Amino acid sequence: MRFLIKRVLQGVFVVFVLETLTFFLVRALPGNPFLGERKLPDYILAQLNSLYGLDAGAWEQYARYWKAILLHGDFGPSLVREGVQVSEMIAQAFPASLLLGSIAMLLAIVVGIPAGMLAAYHRNHLPDTLLMLGAVAGICIPSFVLAPLLEISLGMHVPGLSVAGWDDSLCVVLPAMALGAVNAAYVARLTRGGMVEALSSDFVRTARAKGAGPSRILWRHALRSGLLPVVAYLGPAFAALITGSFVVETCFQVPGLGLHFVNATTDRDYFLIQGLVLCYGVLIVLANLIVDILLAWLNPRIRSAE
Amino acid sequence: MKNSNASHGCSLWQDAARRLLRNRPAALSGVFLLLMVAACFILPVFPCVPNPNTIDLNAIAQGCSWQHLLGTDHLGRDMLARVLYGGRISLLVGFAATTVSLFLGLGYGMVSGYAGGRVDTWMMRAVDVLFALPFIVVVIVFSLSIEEPCREFTSWVVLHTGWNRDSVAPLLGLVPLFLAIGALGWLTLARIVRTQTLALREQEYVLAARSLGLGHCSILMRHITPNLLGPVIVYTTLAVPGIMLTESTLSFIGLGVKAPNSSWGTLIKEGADRMEIAPQLLLYPALFFCLTLLALNFLGDGLRDALDPRSAKD
Repeated sequence: MRFLIKRVLQGVFVVFVLETLTFFLVRALPGNPFLGERKLPDYILAQLNSLYGLDAGAWEQYARYWKAILLHGDFGPSLVREGVQVSEMIAQAFPASLLLGSIAMLLAIVVGIPAGMLAAYHRNHLPDTLLMLGAVAGICIPSFVLAPLLEISLGMHVPGLSVAGWDDSLCVVLPAMALGAVNAAYVARLTRGGMVEALSSDFVRTARAKGAGPSRILWRHALRSGLLPVVAYLGPAFAALITGSFVVETCFQVPGLGLHFVNATTDRDYFLIQGLVLCYGVLIVLANLIVDILLAWLNPRIRSAE
Repeated sequence: MKNSNASHGCSLWQDAARRLLRNRPAALSGVFLLLMVAACFILPVFPCVPNPNTIDLNAIAQGCSWQHLLGTDHLGRDMLARVLYGGRISLLVGFAATTVSLFLGLGYGMVSGYAGGRVDTWMMRAVDVLFALPFIVVVIVFSLSIEEPCREFTSWVVLHTGWNRDSVAPLLGLVPLFLAIGALGWLTLARIVRTQTLALREQEYVLAARSLGLGHCSILMRHITPNLLGPVIVYTTLAVPGIMLTESTLSFIGLGVKAPNSSWGTLIKEGADRMEIAPQLLLYPALFFCLTLLALNFLGDGLRDALDPRSAKD
C-alpha cells in the first residue's frame, strides 16, 4: 500500500513536470496561433492576445493555467477554432480513438500471445522460424504501408468493410488491423522471449520431473512468468494506442485524437496541446501504475521486494 | 566459452565476426544492405540511370519497360531513379540521426552511470519524464524551433565556403529533421549504457586505473567506452530501422523530408494517394523500404547473437 502511494505521488510529479515542460516549450516556438492565410494587423493581434490572456508574463499565464484546471477543471479555449473549448474537442475525439485503440490492442493480444507461445514451444523448429519471420515482417511493414494495402486488398473487395469514415459498425475493422499488426508482432516476440526463458528455468524442470504434461507446463507453470515482459510492454503501448495514431487516423479518416496532436502543434494551439499532453501523461502514468500492480500480482518476487 | 576461445586462439571480435558470418540470415542481410547503400549512393552517378526529376508527360504511370525498369510515376518521372534517390535521403537521415542519438545516449548514460548516487537518480528521472512526452509533439516542436537557426547556418556556410547554394541547401535542409529525430532516439540507449556503466565502474581495472592516478575523463574514454561497445553496437543496429521508420512516418504525414528532396516515406505517400490507378507507385518504394528495414533487423539480431556471450551456444 505504501508502495502504491509512493508510485501515485511519483506519477503526479511526472505529469506536473511534463505539463510544465510542454507549457514553456510550445510558447518558445516561433510563430503564434493567429497566423492564418492573411496577416493580421498588429492592433487586432494585440486584442486577440489580451482576449486569450496571452499578453501576460509567462509565469503569470502558467499560474493562471494551473488555477483554471485545478479549481474549475477548465482546460481553456481552443485558439484556432473559435468558441470551442479544449475539453469539448478532446471529449469529442476520444471515443473514436478509445474504440480503435482497444480493438487494435485486443487484436494484438489475441494474435500475439498464442503466436509467441507456439514459437517458444517449438523453439528453433519450423513453426518458430516462420512465426518469428512473420513477426519481424510485422515490425518492418509500417502502418502507412499496411493501411493503403489493406484498403486496396480487403477494403475494396470484401462487402461491408468501409475504407474510410467513421459511421457504420464495421468501419473500425481495417484501421484496427493496420494499428494492431505492429503491436501483435512486438507482443509475439516478447512472449516468445519470456516463454523461452521460463521454459528453461528450474521450476519448469521441477514440474516436468514431477510428471506434469506439456500443456499443463505451458499454461500453468510457464505462462505466468513468461508473460511478465509482455505486461510491461502492453501498459504504455495501450496508453499510446488509445490516444490515437495520426497515420492510421489520416489514412482511414477516423475523427480521433491523433489528428489533434499534430494539427494543434503545427497550428500553435497552445491550450489544446497542453490539454492533450496532460491527458496523454495521465494515461501513461495510470498505465504504468496498473502494470506495476499486475507485475506484483504475477511475480511473487517483486511483491516481496516492495 | 573462455576455453574454446583460447584453443582457437582468436579475440572476442574475431570470434564474433566468425559467428556472425555463420548466421546465414544476418550475413545475407549485411550483403543486401551493402548492395542497397551502393545502389543508392553510387548507381545514380552513372548516366544509365535517368534523372529522377525529368518530367515526361507523354509517359505517365507506365509499367515496367527497358527504358524505365520500374516504370514511371504520375508525372512520367523514372521510378527506379526516384526510388534510388529517395533511398539516399532515407539512409542518410537514418544514419545521421542514429549518430546523433548514439553520441547523446552514450555521453549521458556514461556520465549518469559513472557518477552514480544522487546525480544518477536525477538524470534518470529526467529521462523518465522525456519518455512520457508524446513523441510526435516533441519532434514537431523541436524541428520547428531549430528550423530558423539551421537556415541561418546554411547561409553562413554558403557565405564562407562559396559553395553553390542550390546544391548545399537541400542537404542542409535535412539537418533539423535528423537532429530532431536523433534528439529523441537516445533515451533507450542512455538507459542501456547507464546500466552497463554502473556494473563496469565497480571492476578492478577501473580501481587500478584510479589508483594509478588516471582522471575520470581518461577512465571513461579508455576503460569504460571500449567495454560498452558490444551492447552499444547491437542496440544501434536495431535502432536504425526504428529511426528510419520515424523519418518516413514524418515524411508520410508531410512533416519530414520536404521538396525538393524526397525520401521513401514521401514516395510511399505519393503512391498511396494514387494507388487505385497505379498500385505499383506504392509497391516499389514500400518494397525497397521494408526490405531494408528487414535486413537491418536481421543484422541487428545476428550481431546480438554474435556479441552477447550468453547466447553463444558453441
